[in-house]
Amino acid sequence: MPIDRKIDYTLDIRGESCPYPVIYTLETLQTMKKGQLLQVITDCPSSFRNVPEEVVKHGYTLVQPPVKDGREYRFYIAV
Amino acid sequence: MKTLYGKLFGQYWSPYLAMGLAGLLSALYFGITGTVWAVTGEFTRLGGHLLQLFGVDISDWAYFNLIHMNGTTLTRTDGWIVWGMFIGALTTVLLARNFKITVPKQKRRLLQGFVGGIVAGFGARLALGCNLAAFFTGVPQFSLHAWIFMAATAVGTYAGVKIVNTRWWKGKPVLTRGDVRPAAGRRRTGSAQPWIGAAIGSAYLALIVYFFAAGRPMLGTAAAFGAAFGILIERGQICFTSAFRDLWLSGRSTMTKAILVGMAVSAAATLAILLIWGMEPITKVAAPSTLVGGLLFGVGIVLAGGCETGMMYRLMEGQIVFLPVFAGNIVGATALAYAWDHLGVFDALVKSGSPVNLVKALGPAGGLVVTLAALAAAFAVARFWSKNYRFGVGFKKGEATHAH
Repeated sequence: MPIDRKIDYTLDIRGESCPYPVIYTLETLQTMKKGQLLQVITDCPSSFRNVPEEVVKHGYTLVQPPVKDGREYRFYIAV
Repeated sequence: MKTLYGKLFGQYWSPYLAMGLAGLLSALYFGITGTVWAVTGEFTRLGGHLLQLFGVDISDWAYFNLIHMNGTTLTRTDGWIVWGMFIGALTTVLLARNFKITVPKQKRRLLQGFVGGIVAGFGARLALGCNLAAFFTGVPQFSLHAWIFMAATAVGTYAGVKIVNTRWWKGKPVLTRGDVRPAAGRRRTGSAQPWIGAAIGSAYLALIVYFFAAGRPMLGTAAAFGAAFGILIERGQICFTSAFRDLWLSGRSTMTKAILVGMAVSAAATLAILLIWGMEPITKVAAPSTLVGGLLFGVGIVLAGGCETGMMYRLMEGQIVFLPVFAGNIVGATALAYAWDHLGVFDALVKSGSPVNLVKALGPAGGLVVTLAALAAAFAVARFWSKNYRFGVGFKKGEATHAH
């Protein structure tokens, strides 16, 4: 379960609903350097689908499968 | 059994499947009851009942006479569609252990939801429907007003995206350096949720059976279909708002395409029902009000973060932000009911219009072909859009730029 890479930033957007999880995630990724890793914590059901899909479409990598913890998801995204 | 449960509730359903089924069921519901799947008309009536509760005499309000205030929400089919959707969605949310009370960290979202809800509620009723009657169930009735409403909604959501993307509206998220470990100690696993869900679902099934046994088959039908619609939109995470909004935002078109497929299925099924059962399609007036209503609705749903349909299952998931949205929807719909005759909205924007039906105008084959062709064209545009449009850069070629 624990991730073996160093996490550079954590974006905790629990409580936020659409479209803010996608906006915040993509905006944050744009400010990061190549090779850095972002952890996104979200609990909005729609974001379980649209955050990972949009991240990949925009050229970023999910470095491991999302971690589910109750109704919370953690995504690990590499720039 | 375990694997079937996991398939149904361990993951969300394909939005294409959910919308296809909803399209089929909504056509069938029309065939049985002669009315369409819709929600905002009932929201307006709820507003009317609230006014009556406070002693306001609404008997001479033209809009309430137009939508009929007969009985109470529990004796109307439109009422049971709404309550069925809430209960159906709540049941599957619980069965999937997905209920969690969430409150946005940024309190401005609550006010934003209320404001957006009002604008969306007002716009939807101005156009005589929301994303359902003036869109998802309007297009399959071959009513031209639904196409105008859809196009106007698309424009409205574009304006809405411009607003929510401003710094003062959007706010700033909490970004911390390094890792944030999950809070130690007691974790809620939600293990009781499936049992509560099963209890609510069973009680509701008993109620549906009771309606039929008590000689109220139409109420039973509405209660059953309402629950089915609620389950489908929750399990498919169907969001009409995102179908438009996400195109402008990040070029996402999954929901857009799923809804278009659902409408195509529904149009074919509806035409079959019209022809076989010899029914008349439900055609609403196409007027300037349809255009203005669609524009307002589009802006409002983006500000609110959900439309009148999406907010229903989101509320059942425990997303508190949709309470002010729901309240706003009712306030907005009621405000339109007042403005309709008291402020001259009808004379200014509606009177000049007339109902146009594509099947009536072009014949059954022509109406269906034109509808399916237009849906296919929209699908192609959506597909192209998602392949080429990127967050923050739009249609420009090349890699997204990084700040460093």
